[in-house]
Amino acid sequence: MDDLVYTIAFYILAAITIASAIGVVTKHNLVHSALLMALCFIGISGLYVLLQADFLAAVQILVYSGAVAILIVLGIMLTQRRSMENTNPNSGWPRGAAVVCALLFVVILIVIAATPWHYSSSMAAQDTPSVLARLLFTDYMVAFEAAAVLLLAAMMGAIVLAKGGEEK
Amino acid sequence: MFNEYALHHAWLIPLLPAIAFVVIGFFLRKSPVLSAFLAITMSMVSFILSLGVGYGVVVQHITVEHPLIDKIPWVDIAGLSINMGMYIDPVSALMLFIVTLVSLLVQIYAVGYMKGDDGFGRFFAYLSLFAATMLGLIIAVNFVQMFIFWELVGLCSYLLIGYYFHKPSACEASKKAFMTTRIGDFGLLLGILLLQIVFGTLDFAQLTIAIPEYVQQYGTGVLTVAALLIFAGPIAKSGQFPLHVWLPDAMEGPTPVSALIHAATMVVAGVYLVVRVFFLYSMLPNVMLIIAWVGGFTACFAATIAITQQDIKRILAYSTISQLGYMMLALGVGSVTASMFHLMTHAFFKALMFLAAGSVMHGLHDKGNIFEMGGLRHKMPITFAAMTIGVLAISGIPPFAGFFSKDEILLAVSEVSAPLYIIAVVTAFMTAFYMFRLLFLVFCGPEKPENNPHEAPSTMKFSLIILSIFAIIGGYIPHVYHFGEWIRFGDASHEGLNWTIAATSMVLSVLAMALAWLIYGSGKVSPDRLAMRFSTLYNVSYHKYYIDELYLWLNYTFVRGFGKILYWLDLYIVDGIVNGLAKLTYRMGDELRQWQTGYLQQYGLILFGAILIMVVWLVITAPISMASLRGGAY
Amino acid sequence: MNITLLTSEIAIICLSLLIIILDLLLPRFETRRSLGYLAAAGVAGVFAYTCTQYGVSATVYQGLFTLDSFALFFKQIFLLAILLTLLFSFDYVEGLAKYQGEFYALLLLAVAGMMIMASANDLLTVFIGTELMTVTFYILVGYQFNSSKSSEAGMKYMILGSVSSAVLLYGVSWVYGCTGSIVFEQIAKHANTSLGMLFGFGLIVAGLFFKMALIPFHMWAPEIYEGAPTPITAMLSMGSKVAGLAVLLRMVFIAFVPMQAYWGGIVSIIAAITMIGGTVIAMWQTNIKRMMAYSSITQAGYMIVGLLSADASGIKSVLFYAMLYMFANVGVFATIIAVKKHHGSNEIKDFSGLAQQSPLLAVVMTVSLLSMAGIPPMAGFAGKLYVFSTVIEKGYLWLGLLGFVMSMISVYYYLNVTKVIYMNEPCVQKEFIVSQPLRIAALISLLATLWIGIYPGPLAELANTAARSLSIL
Repeated sequence: MDDLVYTIAFYILAAITIASAIGVVTKHNLVHSALLMALCFIGISGLYVLLQADFLAAVQILVYSGAVAILIVLGIMLTQRRSMENTNPNSGWPRGAAVVCALLFVVILIVIAATPWHYSSSMAAQDTPSVLARLLFTDYMVAFEAAAVLLLAAMMGAIVLAKGGEEK
Repeated sequence: MFNEYALHHAWLIPLLPAIAFVVIGFFLRKSPVLSAFLAITMSMVSFILSLGVGYGVVVQHITVEHPLIDKIPWVDIAGLSINMGMYIDPVSALMLFIVTLVSLLVQIYAVGYMKGDDGFGRFFAYLSLFAATMLGLIIAVNFVQMFIFWELVGLCSYLLIGYYFHKPSACEASKKAFMTTRIGDFGLLLGILLLQIVFGTLDFAQLTIAIPEYVQQYGTGVLTVAALLIFAGPIAKSGQFPLHVWLPDAMEGPTPVSALIHAATMVVAGVYLVVRVFFLYSMLPNVMLIIAWVGGFTACFAATIAITQQDIKRILAYSTISQLGYMMLALGVGSVTASMFHLMTHAFFKALMFLAAGSVMHGLHDKGNIFEMGGLRHKMPITFAAMTIGVLAISGIPPFAGFFSKDEILLAVSEVSAPLYIIAVVTAFMTAFYMFRLLFLVFCGPEKPENNPHEAPSTMKFSLIILSIFAIIGGYIPHVYHFGEWIRFGDASHEGLNWTIAATSMVLSVLAMALAWLIYGSGKVSPDRLAMRFSTLYNVSYHKYYIDELYLWLNYTFVRGFGKILYWLDLYIVDGIVNGLAKLTYRMGDELRQWQTGYLQQYGLILFGAILIMVVWLVITAPISMASLRGGAY
Repeated sequence: MNITLLTSEIAIICLSLLIIILDLLLPRFETRRSLGYLAAAGVAGVFAYTCTQYGVSATVYQGLFTLDSFALFFKQIFLLAILLTLLFSFDYVEGLAKYQGEFYALLLLAVAGMMIMASANDLLTVFIGTELMTVTFYILVGYQFNSSKSSEAGMKYMILGSVSSAVLLYGVSWVYGCTGSIVFEQIAKHANTSLGMLFGFGLIVAGLFFKMALIPFHMWAPEIYEGAPTPITAMLSMGSKVAGLAVLLRMVFIAFVPMQAYWGGIVSIIAAITMIGGTVIAMWQTNIKRMMAYSSITQAGYMIVGLLSADASGIKSVLFYAMLYMFANVGVFATIIAVKKHHGSNEIKDFSGLAQQSPLLAVVMTVSLLSMAGIPPMAGFAGKLYVFSTVIEKGYLWLGLLGFVMSMISVYYYLNVTKVIYMNEPCVQKEFIVSQPLRIAALISLLATLWIGIYPGPLAELANTAARSLSIL
């Protein structure tokens, strides 16, 4: 019974994710695209829930749907123009892009099908935040600190770029 | 004691001029006196050291079989080990002597010749650099060292030909020299790489041992290819047909440079290379035959051109090509002794003639056409004497130097091939003819009133006198003291003179002299009428067989043709894509068009396309392709 | 666990923070040149410190971060590159409208990213290090606020760079899925040659090839090189490329050893395409920075050729090449900056008569270009000799010949610049100013290039030690 529910939930979430992702690319109105992207993120966080990655799902919603998508919408608002029509036009080579994407998709499918996967038998961790926190502050210390520096650099960059261009 | 020191410190011989180059180049360029003083002092010390080396070779019985080798690792890492060092045997000791002597005398000469020139210091810096690199080439212990210095002397030659860089013709000539010799160097490098692949070493001493064994086991197939590729280097550097075209143009450089680099030393580097790797060539009779014919043909071919040229330095240049052909011919018939002997005497008398020609041009304010000269013997007696000695030496009149070496070559050739012997004798005849033509036209006959010649300054005279002495005795002394027992490959083959051959060539030379006197000295036969009579032959020779024109045409057709193909590709394919992109982007909004977003998406598409291809390749075809790409052999 | 292994990275980051703070304290209209000097002095200090670390081979945090001679060698390349770049860009930075202090700070952070990449021993650290470097470069590329070209380049670099990072990350997830680990040694232990593993490997390599700008992943390079401030172009071409190489080497020779039979084909084909394409396109360029972009593409092609021999001598040849490539680049970019200051643009024709205006820079430029072309006695000749002799030994004769032919062709466009420098008359008659630090950087590059070319022994020995410390082989 559980399996069936999971399977149905998976396909619904997957469909939402993929459909909204395609929408992001094809919609001609930038605001629509941005909102569809938020939806796509939510679908992905649903998939995380199904994988029992609860912390990741929460972060996904908070950071991506909450912060990133909203920031983009905010950005669109601030660079307001008269009409939102055709603010997100297609690229020059939609057909080429479609062909490459389709081929890549097929290749990935084939690879997935042909790879002998190992399935982990261990139970998923119950208290994911604390496990993650321990890993980040012990084994992955260097990467974690480097990420902190990265954020600093990004912040400085944002300030420099935003303020640099405002006055000549 | 001194010879001991000199032998083991022979590396100082190239190093000292190198130091002179650095010091002059960086500090003394502005001071003519100091730079000349330093360059000459260093050359002098080098010369004394090489005398010590020569003496040491004799005293300590260093022979070609038992050379003195001293080397330090230059690059010594897993898989690749290259040494730098010195290889002293009688041959290299002789070369050291010749090069240091001529370069010392030319530098002394240049003090007078280049006086007042803006680039006086620069000139001496280049000369020192050249001496350093040429001496480094001589003592090379392996192909790598040889190649590096080979390229460096090429560079010096380029710099010195283009010394008068404000003259477009000099720039053109220097470029032509550089490009033409590069063609040969390309072959040389390929040949060296091939040897490295086959033997895993480029050391001369090791190859000497390895090659005969290899030939016994596997035959000569690969070695023939390698030897021919390597021979491409000497063809270009020593001005052999068909890559001789750069040498006459190289006369755009200052005359001391022509004497030092383009007559006595650098151009014989090709001959020296063949001598150095004679252990390879002696195994390959077919290649030897090719060398002999290339040399013989070049000798004869260049002589026919020299007959009609009118510029004094060009005549000497073609004569140099012809004499280099002689040396190659001697090598081709297997006589290292004759070739090196002629190399030495040629260095003396050709440097002498160039310096005398420089003195003439110096006296006549850079006039070069021999038909505008005449009667200079009165105003320039020393120069006249020097040139006469040079001409007698090159024509093979005894007892001058050229007689002995030329006779040695003719003897060696006559033992191998009759047709080549005839070619060589005919060449000797023509050589005597055009050399006396030059001598008579320049120094005899009436004086031209528009010329106001004056004798050269004392430094120039000094060099002329010393070289004259060498051009007189440089053949007889070695002949008496068994030159061939030291300078040889394999067993010594030095016998006495063969009087039949010697007499033949002597008689022909005298005949040529008489003929030249008839036409150009006495005026009994008009040269113009002869030219009219044989106008086709005259024109072909005067225009150097139209080879320059042929190369220009080839260059034009092929290079331009290739350029056109590229241009077409650019026009239709590259531009087509770019224009297509431009059109696509044009349709997008103004804002976006300025950001050229269309391009960016294109990039993304190409990126993913590439990833796709790569991944598919990796997944499907990787193991198969791997085997085929590595060629299986290893 | 020994935190001192991280000293040099920590020092560089602290130096960067110090510069930000001092930048606040300095009066607003004061020049920031002093900060530049501070940065250069600090980097020189760290460089001196790294010299004492050779011979160490230790890891921190369960092998996720490792310090061995290999990592040290690369770190020294980066430190030297940034040191010399700082020396020749003081004047350039002074010409920036604002945020000069942050410029230095960000540049140092980018170097910290590269250093982390050189030491990273797991895919996560690799990714974070790469991002630290590239995100900083996104900002720095767009640093010329009054130039739309620069902003456009920054924008493009960010988008394309993010795409490539995504590809890299996706590949990481595949490898993790197949092996259950992201630590290099663990990956090697669990590696199989299933399709999934190959797929992940392909994606990671593609991401790194993008950073190294190999054809066909090079599309971004010419425009970004052209648009970016010149010191950043220099660092992109030296740092980004070489850091990508460091990661690629360590990854391929530790984590993906079992797959050696698979990537040989890919790498040889890409190296071939890159050498041909870079050389051919470079011939058409009239802008020196664009030409250098294609030239550096070609050079990266030469470098990855060394991977194919898959042994210590191959790695050694790559390391050797990376070092001399760095020195040659310093010479070229120092000259470009000086000429740009004089003429205000970066066209090749602006180099007209440089020989008369500044003989030193003319010589430096010529020697550096000839080194890239591989003409003896410049260092490039020795480098190419090592690279191609090792692969020819392994049977890739065709690749060796191709590389040789391409070097010959590349002489054409390098000499083209030299020709302009020496043959043409200067077009602007005003005094040509070469600042003292720039002169020093150019001189160092000149001497190093000649020294390595004439006597490559010591550097080759060092590279050999570094190569051997990648001990899996």
